[in-house]
Amino acid sequence: MSDVGKVPDQVRPDPLLICSNPPSLRYGATSSEESADLKFVCGENRMSTSILTEHPVQESRRTIWNSQLLVRLSSLLAFVGVMIYFSLAAPLFLSYSNVLNVVQQSAVLGVLAFGMTTVFISGGAHVISGGIDLSAASNMGLSAAIYASIIQAGGTDWIALPVTLLTGLIIGAVNAGAIVGLKIFPLLATLATMNICAGFELVLTQNTVVPAASPLLTAVAATGSFAVPNIVYIFFCLAFFLIILIEATPFGLRLYAVGGFREAAIAAGIRVNRDVSASYLISGVCGSVAAILSLSLLNGSSPGAGEILLSVVLVALLGVIVSRRSVPTISGTLISSLFIGFLVNGFQLTNVSSYWVNGVQGGLILLVVAGSSFSRRAAY
Amino acid sequence: MIIHRPIAPVILIRPALQMGLALAVVVSLGTTLIAAEETSAAPSPSATAAGNTDTSGLSLQGKKVGITVIGTDHYWDLRAYQGQIDEVKRLGGTPIALDAGRNDSRQVTQIQTLITQKPDVIIEQLGTLTVLEPWLQKIRAAGIPLFTVDTASPSSINDTTSDNFYIGEQLAVQLANDIHGEGNILVFNGFYGVPVCAIRYDELKEVLKFYPKIKIVEPELRDVIPNTVQNAYAQITELLNKYPKGSIAAIWSAWDVPQVGATEAVDTTHRSEIKTYGVDGSPDVVSLIKDPNSAAAAVVAQQPYLIGKTAVDNAARYLAGDHNLPPYTFVPAVLVTKQNAAEAQTFLGQRP
Repeated sequence: MSDVGKVPDQVRPDPLLICSNPPSLRYGATSSEESADLKFVCGENRMSTSILTEHPVQESRRTIWNSQLLVRLSSLLAFVGVMIYFSLAAPLFLSYSNVLNVVQQSAVLGVLAFGMTTVFISGGAHVISGGIDLSAASNMGLSAAIYASIIQAGGTDWIALPVTLLTGLIIGAVNAGAIVGLKIFPLLATLATMNICAGFELVLTQNTVVPAASPLLTAVAATGSFAVPNIVYIFFCLAFFLIILIEATPFGLRLYAVGGFREAAIAAGIRVNRDVSASYLISGVCGSVAAILSLSLLNGSSPGAGEILLSVVLVALLGVIVSRRSVPTISGTLISSLFIGFLVNGFQLTNVSSYWVNGVQGGLILLVVAGSSFSRRAAY
Repeated sequence: MIIHRPIAPVILIRPALQMGLALAVVVSLGTTLIAAEETSAAPSPSATAAGNTDTSGLSLQGKKVGITVIGTDHYWDLRAYQGQIDEVKRLGGTPIALDAGRNDSRQVTQIQTLITQKPDVIIEQLGTLTVLEPWLQKIRAAGIPLFTVDTASPSSINDTTSDNFYIGEQLAVQLANDIHGEGNILVFNGFYGVPVCAIRYDELKEVLKFYPKIKIVEPELRDVIPNTVQNAYAQITELLNKYPKGSIAAIWSAWDVPQVGATEAVDTTHRSEIKTYGVDGSPDVVSLIKDPNSAAAAVVAQQPYLIGKTAVDNAARYLAGDHNLPPYTFVPAVLVTKQNAAEAQTFLGQRP
């Protein structure tokens, strides 16, 4: 409750008012979603209780809501259409081994995107001042370089694993310190950390591949029960854990509250700084876990990890489409990371140039950005 | 033109042989270039290849050929990639051509999916061997014949490549000769993990053993991808400020993109006493060498299009039942210097 005092009375909204918005007036909310939405009201309803009774505004909202629904539906249709097309065009597409391949290939991207989604949730959707972790990919590069260097120097997994996870945590903590402590925009703070990580990685690896073979990495790369690669098990276990943590615990609820309406969250007594920091720590650890998966797939650390950053942002943004309330969710991110994996895979199976993937991804970004700009206009 | 021979151990150069060897190279190159000039109606390496390789009777009709390359951003990569695709189509096959955009992770993904697709044969071009080897083994374990381009792997049935021992040695001998066996040299050694670069570098060291007055400046330089030219330019400009005129004799790199940046840096700072050396023979580098005012002194030019084409021909031979292919097929490379750059442009199909 200590944060409450920091908000001047004249700008502090009444939490009761915020939480008492009639569900029918909320964009994207239907009566069937009412109960589900109640826990996110602080996060989604950028309120303006004073205008709730104005009919023209309601009309305008309804139009925007309809447009937004149209964008979301067309995005979902694009998802489904692409999957159906590939399964018809390439008989191998839905084969057991191919599906497992795609999941395995999507794991590194997916794990990084889980971290990105978490900071999206806690930081809000504003393009400049909202939450983002630009250091996610270079964190992975540095963590992988550290793990590989330790193994190269004769160290064991028992040393390399905790040091690597600690690296991710430290990077997360530096981000959190800069954003929460120094009040730097996440975009700029994590841009700085991104460069620091990339620099350290270059120092460690001299921009070369550092091979790494260890019992743990071999075990991660191996195939487990039901011919399912262990990476797939790890990916799904982490997804399950984060879905529970973010979507079904008070901590997750607080993250949505903080990201949706920071002042209201402060007024409601949420320790905003602690929760925002926690989201960056989660993202940091996700970077280290992705590094271990990448190490096992590539038999070492490879330069150029930073290139994956834009795909990570894309996947985390795309996940919004599959959320009923158009908010970032871990489950949405899981689905979108698999979708991107299937897209790349489908292009290869149908012998369409992989260069097209970039164009399709660009189109999807446009759809998502269009959808989220509708959301913002509806919210204000 | 194509030489089949098993891989040789690292060649140890003996001083007594060096002059003879250098002479032989000059003579053989002269002969080659003269021959090339005589048949200079052939405008491109592909045409040259067609005239020198018997591919009659080869067919890939109804065959799917997976082609996976680490990247196509460099002239060499792109020409070898095009050589493969064109030859597969010419022989009636269907190429599944995959460019990993210089990303190890993406290439692994593409290979993994390629294995599921079960093409009749897979050809892999360049990339980092430590990353690739387990996946190349999986290709063989899936019963798919594997051929490689410029990638020496125990999993490959046949690797089509230039003779990089020869390339490394020729470049080093030329360098030592040009600087009269004396002086400090700057060396770009950022890709020792790529086998062909390692061979060229090791050959340089072998040659320099016998030129004790030539010293490699430590620490060695790291060339990078991407922004190779700009990065090399920046590094060399900085070092030229550090080392005064006369203290550096030459700059060596295992490929010719850093050589472009280094040459630019030397030319801009008017340090005409410094000469640059590289490998591959991209058209812009051969042009630089031809320019009498440029610091670019020599490049060993490969024939990437012919290399790619030859790899496909070998794969077609294997699929036709010829299982006695040698593990390596070497496609000749030529040493291009200021003296023969104009002729080399014609021979390499790079006539300006």
